[in-house]
Amino acid sequence: MTSQQEHPSARARTLNSVLRRTHFKVALIALALAGLSLTLVGLLALRAYSSHNLLLVARSISYTAEAAVVFRDAEAAIESVRLIAEPEEVASVRIIDRQGEELVNWENMQSGLLPKVERLISRILQPSPVIMPIMHDDASVGQLELVGSGKGLLSFLINGLLLLGACLLLSAVGASRLSRSVIQGIAQPLRNLAKVAHSVRYHGTFDHRVPPADIVELNELGKDFNDLLDEVEAWRAHLHEENAVLSHRASHDSLTGLANREFLRTRLNREIRGADEQGQRLALMYMDCDRFKYINDTFGHGAGDDVLKTLATRLHGQLRKNDLLARMGGDEFAAVISPYYQIEDLHEIACNIQEAAAIPIKLTNGHIVAVSLSIGIAVFPDDAQTMDGLLEVADAMMYRAKRSSSDERRAAHFANMDAITE
Amino acid sequence: MRCFRHPLAAVLMAVLLVGGLAMPAAHAANVTLRMAAVTEVVAGILSYARWPDSGKATAGGLQLCVVGPTEYADALLQSGNPASRWRDDVKRLAVDDYEITAGCHALYVGVIDDQESQQLFSRIQGSHILSISERNDSCAMGSMFCLNIEDGLVTFDVNLDAVARSGVKVHLHVLKLGRRTSRP
Repeated sequence: MTSQQEHPSARARTLNSVLRRTHFKVALIALALAGLSLTLVGLLALRAYSSHNLLLVARSISYTAEAAVVFRDAEAAIESVRLIAEPEEVASVRIIDRQGEELVNWENMQSGLLPKVERLISRILQPSPVIMPIMHDDASVGQLELVGSGKGLLSFLINGLLLLGACLLLSAVGASRLSRSVIQGIAQPLRNLAKVAHSVRYHGTFDHRVPPADIVELNELGKDFNDLLDEVEAWRAHLHEENAVLSHRASHDSLTGLANREFLRTRLNREIRGADEQGQRLALMYMDCDRFKYINDTFGHGAGDDVLKTLATRLHGQLRKNDLLARMGGDEFAAVISPYYQIEDLHEIACNIQEAAAIPIKLTNGHIVAVSLSIGIAVFPDDAQTMDGLLEVADAMMYRAKRSSSDERRAAHFANMDAITE
Repeated sequence: MRCFRHPLAAVLMAVLLVGGLAMPAAHAANVTLRMAAVTEVVAGILSYARWPDSGKATAGGLQLCVVGPTEYADALLQSGNPASRWRDDVKRLAVDDYEITAGCHALYVGVIDDQESQQLFSRIQGSHILSISERNDSCAMGSMFCLNIEDGLVTFDVNLDAVARSGVKVHLHVLKLGRRTSRP
């Protein structure tokens, strides 16, 4: 993973903001396009109507003021102009008589709202004022000039833009609502996914799964992710199991299931350190099967294995829960007894072990054999202060017991027995 | 007349006299202007009038006649032809001429006295003759239109009753333009 991915740049945005922006942009563009084009079309249509209307107004004025123009009655002319033009969208009316003199120059004073803007818009939208001859008896008696006020166009434009603005506002709200609902559909599943991934990555827990989502693709993604998690979990469990088996196999004897020599050495080392710190004692007990070679030779290796397994079970039964029993190889066993309190306890344990071992063993081939154990015991820190020293002493004690007379065989041999017993 | 006791009054009188000496030229100019305006107004009124088919022959066009001493009809008489439907020559007739009722469609009446006026207007009543008077009080005596001639502006009054009784149809626009006078 690169550092860029771990630390997203400052410009990175959340899904929510991206969606909201996108929605807003789409709404904005759609509305602007529709609104502006509608406004334009409306303006054009309105302009056509406005021009037509202006023409009609001009015709009306021309008809009404005709006689006044013929008689050059400015007062009557202006009256008829006012009568017709005032309620209409007319900015100014000018009437010129036959001689080219101005008879009427009337301006609509009522156009209150932004007259300059109105005039400007009128000039843009209606480039030429209406100019119409005033006819009487098939001859022109004057000329009428009419300028529209563009008030209707202006109010249409303002209303259109206001409406457009209102629609934009509404659509912004709508877009935000929409994106929120989309977020519920998209971001929530993604968040769930991220949560599960996070818990797997940092806590190593596999108990969470991605819940199903409404969106098909995200649902598929979640399902695949869950399947992947299942696989990883299974793989991890398998690995754990394999590791446990391997480590067990490395530290245990495959025949009896007891700890092996390596394991015992490690444990002994640790126990010695512990005992040294606490000022306690511990004992290492070596045991050897006396007639094992004979049994092996007479009844075969299967019989030997039977004897070893049985002995392992019996010895284990005589030891305390915290004590460690190990098979050192061949017919040799060793036990770490830690902590112990009195030498008599050791004695008793040794006697019990020997008694348990002495019970005849029924082999799988039907024969019954009896074995005895030679036991050597070394005590820390009295006999030795190191692990190797302890092992040596215990080994030596055990051989001494083996070599000693048969009447003594039943007793275990202790190093420095006198010192301890005293 | 009383003597001018105040010197200022004498000065004022002198100024007025000087002004009076300058007047004829100005008066002439005003008359020309007024004449043009009168001609225009008469032409306008005639252009808004319609005559019924029955009665006088209108084959050679409509006939405008002028009666009585007129101040502003010279232009009318000279230029004639106020509109295309009219005969070129404008007839000047005596007040009691019988041709008036027989051959005239419109009558421009000059300044005649009240008695003559009343006789004239009662005589032409019902003969489909449109009458325009120079005297602005003659509407009270039965003239359909009577002119108010002021400097630069010629207006007219309308006697709606006379218009209705004449049988000539005058456009509403013109009737509305005229200041209405009540019947005597």
